[in-house]
Amino acid sequence: MPQLVDMRNIIKVYPNGVVANRDVNFSVERGEIHALVGENGAGKSTLMKIVYGLEQPTSGSIIFNGRPVKLQSPHQAIDFGIGMVHQNFMLIPSFTIAQNIVLGHEPVKGRLLDTKAAIRITEQLAQEYGLDVDPTAKVEATPVGMRQRVEILKTLYRGADLLILDEPTAVLTPQETDDLFDAVRRLVAQGKTVIFITHKLIEVKEISDRVTVMRHGEVTGRVQTAEVSEEDIARMMVGRDVLFRIEKPRQQRGEVVVQVKGLSYVSPTGRPLLRDVSFQIHRGEILGIAGVEGNGQTQLAEVLSGLQPPTTGEATIGGQSVLGRGPRHVRQAGVAHIPEDRLTNGVALEADIADNLVVDRYYRSPFARRGAMSLRQVRRHAEQLMQKFDIRAAGAEALMGSLSGGNMQKVIIAREFSADPVLLIAAQPTRGVDIGASEFVRRQLVEERNKGKAVLLISADLAELLTLADRIAVLYKGEIVALFRSRPDLSEEELGLYMLGLKRQLPEQRE
Amino acid sequence: MNEARQKFSLEFMRIVVVIVLALLLGFVITAMVSSDPVDAYRELLTGPLPKITINDNGDWQLRGINRFGNWLEDSITLTLLGLSIAIVFKARQFSLGAEGQLTLGALGAGIVSLYIPAPFVIHIGLALLVAGFFGYIWGLIPGALKAYLNADEIVSTLMLNIIAIQLYQFILTRYLKDPTAGYVGTEFFPESAILPVVIPGTRVTIALFIAIIAIVAVWFLMSRTPLGYEIRMLGANRRFAEYGGINAKRVIALSMGLSGILAGLAGAHLSMGLLKQLTLTLSPNIGFEGIVVAMLARNDPKFVPVAALFYGYLRTGAQIMERSSDVTREMVLVIQAIIILFITAERIVPLVQGWWLHRQSPEAILDSAEAKG
Amino acid sequence: MTFETVLASIFSAAFIATIIRASTPIILPAMGGLISELAGVINIALEGIMLTAAFFGVVVGALGPEWLPGLPVWVYPWLGALVGVLAGLILTLIIAFFHLELGADVILAALAINILASGGTVFIMFALTGDKGSTSTLASPAMPSIIIPFVGSIPVVGQIFNGENLTGYNIITYAAFLSVALVWLFLYRTRLGTHLRAVGENPVAAASVGIDVKRVQYIALLMSGFLAALGGINLSMGYLTLFQTNMTAGRGYIALAAVFLGNRNPLGTLIAALIFGAAGALEAQLGTLNIPSQLITMIPPIVTIAALVIYNVRRQAQMAANARKFQEKMESEHKVV
Repeated sequence: MPQLVDMRNIIKVYPNGVVANRDVNFSVERGEIHALVGENGAGKSTLMKIVYGLEQPTSGSIIFNGRPVKLQSPHQAIDFGIGMVHQNFMLIPSFTIAQNIVLGHEPVKGRLLDTKAAIRITEQLAQEYGLDVDPTAKVEATPVGMRQRVEILKTLYRGADLLILDEPTAVLTPQETDDLFDAVRRLVAQGKTVIFITHKLIEVKEISDRVTVMRHGEVTGRVQTAEVSEEDIARMMVGRDVLFRIEKPRQQRGEVVVQVKGLSYVSPTGRPLLRDVSFQIHRGEILGIAGVEGNGQTQLAEVLSGLQPPTTGEATIGGQSVLGRGPRHVRQAGVAHIPEDRLTNGVALEADIADNLVVDRYYRSPFARRGAMSLRQVRRHAEQLMQKFDIRAAGAEALMGSLSGGNMQKVIIAREFSADPVLLIAAQPTRGVDIGASEFVRRQLVEERNKGKAVLLISADLAELLTLADRIAVLYKGEIVALFRSRPDLSEEELGLYMLGLKRQLPEQRE
Repeated sequence: MNEARQKFSLEFMRIVVVIVLALLLGFVITAMVSSDPVDAYRELLTGPLPKITINDNGDWQLRGINRFGNWLEDSITLTLLGLSIAIVFKARQFSLGAEGQLTLGALGAGIVSLYIPAPFVIHIGLALLVAGFFGYIWGLIPGALKAYLNADEIVSTLMLNIIAIQLYQFILTRYLKDPTAGYVGTEFFPESAILPVVIPGTRVTIALFIAIIAIVAVWFLMSRTPLGYEIRMLGANRRFAEYGGINAKRVIALSMGLSGILAGLAGAHLSMGLLKQLTLTLSPNIGFEGIVVAMLARNDPKFVPVAALFYGYLRTGAQIMERSSDVTREMVLVIQAIIILFITAERIVPLVQGWWLHRQSPEAILDSAEAKG
Repeated sequence: MTFETVLASIFSAAFIATIIRASTPIILPAMGGLISELAGVINIALEGIMLTAAFFGVVVGALGPEWLPGLPVWVYPWLGALVGVLAGLILTLIIAFFHLELGADVILAALAINILASGGTVFIMFALTGDKGSTSTLASPAMPSIIIPFVGSIPVVGQIFNGENLTGYNIITYAAFLSVALVWLFLYRTRLGTHLRAVGENPVAAASVGIDVKRVQYIALLMSGFLAALGGINLSMGYLTLFQTNMTAGRGYIALAAVFLGNRNPLGTLIAALIFGAAGALEAQLGTLNIPSQLITMIPPIVTIAALVIYNVRRQAQMAANARKFQEKMESEHKVV
């Protein structure tokens, strides 16, 4: 079959120095469903942004329909017949579905909008491709599944031949997912080509003809879907390329200090993101949370740190109930938190290092006494921590925004570790961190554990979890589906089966 | 720190350039309407300074002390209003409510002055307290509406201004007005409630010290107290502040309330220091002047008095220019508008830099990115 | 006057005529405010734009015969109005340029324009007339009024349609009510209007389908400036034919309030503007009854704040109800599993 898109030797380096794609070759044949899989940060989104004209490659070439092309903007991509359905929908909530579909290219009668024509067009498109929508319903009042169909119809209305679906099932119910798959098959039957971005392997097997697997900005596999098993794909996806050794003495497990019972969380839009999560953490224990991105890990960290109130359930630290009264209360109960989204939540770039280091303790002695803050103490505190955690900066008054990424990371770690917590929540603490700094973070986590702290380590890096954690819980769709004691024979593949929802433990099997 | 100093001097240069530019544009405009623009502009730029004249006998005489006084009086008002806005801006909120807070502050001060008899020092203290409290309430309302109900603070402060002014005029005409006066205004305040003059020959009263105390207090609040820390972190990154355990909603409401106190005190300065009574209009359109002062001072309490003295100087100079030339004092509003426009235009500096710097090659950008990483 | 006569005057056709007249300079800027608000660029300079247009309308209308003698007399008011509107548009263009090109905060830029307008009008007025209070020394023309034929003889209807003295309403009053329909048509029945609402609601989504966000916001601001300027012309070249210092007296802000009170749509905004106009008309009527006018003037802002509060309380309650609903749903779902 002829190649529709052929991307050759794509390299993409962002201005901040992050290398997203390293010499990637990627091609899609006309009329196929091509799955592009990989963990978050593997570089698949960047690659697709390049196809859609949102980003320009640093080097490399794109051949579309046999001709080399330069895609400078989505507009051009649309003209070439490339359509993209973004993960967060690009819709106008107060507009009707028909209005959204024709937005930017509205049919007119004279000088006024032809509303009837818009509805007719929508109905025709919907019928032609079997994507059922209600043209006159407002988007804000329609379920997510329909919104997605609207997005697909939008690209079709603009004449897309190649559809890029970015994690389209992430927000769908199983029933909606089935409907989507039917629709995708119909689209292909009518001559369209689909790139399907996902990290759910069941779906890859179910829907795709071929798979390209990416990891760390590189392509690690390109296979016919029928010829491989889910386990094979999982291996290519998570891989085993991180070789690090951490001295971890035998666990001196103490009493239970953290009790989480029946925790669930429903997002404001009504999606249940945590379901009945219960676990315990002992003193001197690292509990690892494994799971494919988007299965509730983020919410678990946010609820446990007090940033979001739980919908149901509670957590106790040392017997004291902590949730529902905000982050200050949780922190005072002895919880420290290395947040996942560090640049937006973990630091204030416009403030100086010293101020960044006291955000959880500025109101206490020795920083504040009788209503006044001691700048001397704040600075001394900063200087001590900068020395202890090897934070390299011009001084305690240097603005946070002037630091390198690794040093920002160290500021957060310095603050959270020095809080002397009972429970330390570390959410993806080594993501986006270079190897040296990752080593440092991991050693620190183990040291905290050895000192008798309880650590909740949420990580997408299975090798990291297997090395550091004493027990590993697997989150799948907001639920804990397995809980293992870490042991040498526990493999990434085994965990992968639970992460992908292929297996689940019975409650009595939990360790 | 080198970097911080460099940034500071860049900011400073930028503000100086904007001011010079605005004054130049002002001159061009003056030249278009005035028969003697140079003279008019000289009055604007040197008017507020007292002049020493030496007569033939060698005796010297200081003249224009009242102009100098006007400058200081106005700068006191502007300092208080500038501090008021600086707090709100520092918390990255918005408030156009100074006018209402000031009006009610003046009202509170007036009611205490006229109707609550008290001995000298206590009377003034009580009046100031009530003025500050009225301002606080009038700032807290839009603050709380914003924080807890997400109600747009621009619309709410504008509406609260109208309400405050109408309330003031209602109470004044209905209850406080001196029936024997031929205009709408109260009797003059009793001596015990009038701020004592500290520079003879002017109306510069102990409000000068109130302003100085306010500068120190706001500086202390912002840089030396937990609440100030909370305000700064809220302004720097709200999500970070909340992650650290700061109650952002409470801080938003409080920052606007605190800002109201200062505007209320400005009202007390107007009524108890300058007018010595309540009149139908206090000082029209003074409410927005705090914004330009805060912007010039980059929301730093240390620099607020500098900005206030500068802007007060212009305002006073403009009044003198109006009296002694054919150009009205409103010219200074044109200058003010130009200053605000150019200081808020953030992309001007990068744009200018863009014109100066040659386009870097992609390789160079990659190299520097790697060097940074 | 007794209470009854005042009451009678309030429920009279003449009073309706007063409301219509008092609402005109609120409706027009409110429509302008609505357009810019819907495009995501709030315009708090309606006040300054009105003031400027009012001023230049009078000046050019009055001095036109001197500067450009020999034109037919009816041309001069139109010339004045044209220049007034142009002046308003130039001010709006400054806001748009500083905000969209130079990254200035749209509120601060508009604030600067308000200050510029309040200072600049007095400055130029003094330079031209030597007077700082008003242009009463200039003989300035009015925009024409339109008398609807035949209805004048009908008792009540005549007064409603042609004003209490049956002299007709100013043409700009007609423009104001027409503008509501046109703005509605524009926003909901034209391409550009649809793009404008899309830009205000979700600029990223709008840009993703090829809408030029910056261009749309330029247009929205300029339209708001145009409508506000017409409102200003109405003030100085309609019922009154002179310019007074600060003659807008906060109408630009009240117009903005009408947009929010009117739930950000043309009809609601019109109703809010009429309520505010009625409060203004009432103020004049009740003055005779010894009911303080200030209390009446307070009505629009109080209503607006109350509306802001009610709107947000209701929205929060709705969100809480949603959460509860989903929670129950989840719990029942959970039991099944």
